[in-house]
Amino acid sequence: MFYIRIFFQYVAQYMKTRMQYRADLFVEIFSDLLFQAVNLIFILVVFGHTNLLGGWTRDEIIFIYGFFLVPYALFSSFFNIWDFNERYIVKGELDRILTRPIHSLFQIVLERMELESLFGAVTGIAVMFYAGNSLGLKLSWADPFLFLLFVLGGMLVYGGIFIMIACISFWADARTSIMPMMYNIGNYGRYPVDIYNSVIRFVLTWVLPFAFVGVYPAAFFLGKEEWFLYSFLTPVIGIVFFGISILIWNSGVKRYRGAGN
Amino acid sequence: MKDAITVRNLKKEFKAYSSRSGLKGAFRDLLTRNYKIVPAVNDISFNVKQGEMVGYIGENGAGKSTTIKMLTGILTPTSGGVIVNGMNPHRDREKFVSTIGVVFGQRSQLWWDIAVQESFRLLKKVYKVSDEQYESHMAHVIKTLDIEPLLDKPVRKLSLGQRMRCELAAALIHNPPLLFLDEPTIGLDVLVKLRIREFLKEINKKYNTTILLTTHDLTDIEALCERVVMLDDGKVIYDGALKSLKEKWGEGKEIEFQFLEEVELADLNKITASSEVKWEKDEKKAIFTAVVEDDDELISLLIAKVVAALKIKDINIKETSTEEIIRNIYDRGIS
Repeated sequence: MFYIRIFFQYVAQYMKTRMQYRADLFVEIFSDLLFQAVNLIFILVVFGHTNLLGGWTRDEIIFIYGFFLVPYALFSSFFNIWDFNERYIVKGELDRILTRPIHSLFQIVLERMELESLFGAVTGIAVMFYAGNSLGLKLSWADPFLFLLFVLGGMLVYGGIFIMIACISFWADARTSIMPMMYNIGNYGRYPVDIYNSVIRFVLTWVLPFAFVGVYPAAFFLGKEEWFLYSFLTPVIGIVFFGISILIWNSGVKRYRGAGN
Repeated sequence: MKDAITVRNLKKEFKAYSSRSGLKGAFRDLLTRNYKIVPAVNDISFNVKQGEMVGYIGENGAGKSTTIKMLTGILTPTSGGVIVNGMNPHRDREKFVSTIGVVFGQRSQLWWDIAVQESFRLLKKVYKVSDEQYESHMAHVIKTLDIEPLLDKPVRKLSLGQRMRCELAAALIHNPPLLFLDEPTIGLDVLVKLRIREFLKEINKKYNTTILLTTHDLTDIEALCERVVMLDDGKVIYDGALKSLKEKWGEGKEIEFQFLEEVELADLNKITASSEVKWEKDEKKAIFTAVVEDDDELISLLIAKVVAALKIKDINIKETSTEEIIRNIYDRGIS
């Protein structure tokens, strides 16, 4: 309860600050939308040359992309920990975090949220409706709930992986360039995994389970029964990965050596 | 009285990696890295009673900050025991930190972009302080620190002195029984320093707040603390009253002379050749300082000799300052 109250306190504060820099806000939303448009155009260009990609039609792939945008938007709103090493370890901001009576990771999530990224979710849902419409998909009563469940699962998968990577900073001094690489790998989850070879598929399912952010849960709504098992694994994988990442985080905080003054 | 801080055989070691020289060395570093274990805090023990104001002093790298960070739960000790406010700071961290206030002079606790009072409001929620508590306590803090006119300004627009006062107020929002101040007056002008000192004294008196203070500015310590804990190379080398430190180590007094005529150091040495005295000259202000043993007879004799020989503009007898005492201790070591 306390955490939920604090969350809304921070959100209110965030809005107040953001309103002061309105121009910034619009530029950011605009560049987010532009980024999504570029990705969509890429998919369209690929399908300008072919009608099927590993047995998936153009609209199906657009649908997956639309789905992917939703958990990704949630992730980028709340888990801006890509600069955790520089900001919190090197500059020693974690000292401050650790002297406050709230879980350290939760504080970082609160401090670093970027709510304007949530607009990505709106785009994503619009893209899904467009693609779903041309595929003639029907919406059943359970779909919105499952959608929510899968989206949260996907967000936790993303969050878990990036928290684990941020945790490297607790053990290693040097900056790593894993973060940007991981953002690239994350994008593979947007495409049907069966177009990749089996090793990549295995990695995307069990090691860096980005496939659970895009293709697996989306396959459920596309009625691809051979993937249903994976679809329903989405929240499980999400909770497992996120749980593990929290454990690693907690033991990382114990190893924190602080920054010198 | 109850102990606010109990430290037993506390130790913190860091692994320090050293890199080999040259390209070949860099490649070897890839495979196996040389490291040695450096003790930052080496087996220290001390107690602080509730309501005490203790100065924690030492040179850079003596282990002050590391100790403070272990006492506040930021770092885990390598070995040894720390009990602060009846809790283990690192293990019970989230519960523990609401019983302490922390000010790191070089690091802001406040949110950069938002107005000071918004920061306070957020911290009030974070520490679960009720409105009544906040009103009665903070109204007073805000008045004493004179930060009322700053409350609606964002932190980034404040000067260092203004910011520091706000930081101090922020650390006290939940009225903690124990306050850690790490270099709270670094870079501040005299007036702000005085105000902060007055305020700390008042807080200490009013709420019996324990204050642990690290600083390079020994005048802070002189103004506030009766007790000092001195650290060198990760070890406690002195723990006791500031006064007895002065008595024990403040050997000698300084007598400053200003003369009406041109005087050379050699002249003075000749005049006082029979007594045990060391002369120093401050070129800029033309002040000559005689350092002698703290013996009234000796001092009178010295002054008599100088006055008889030279025309004098001003004389000033000073006790050795704490700063000098401590410099001496670090130079020569305690024994």
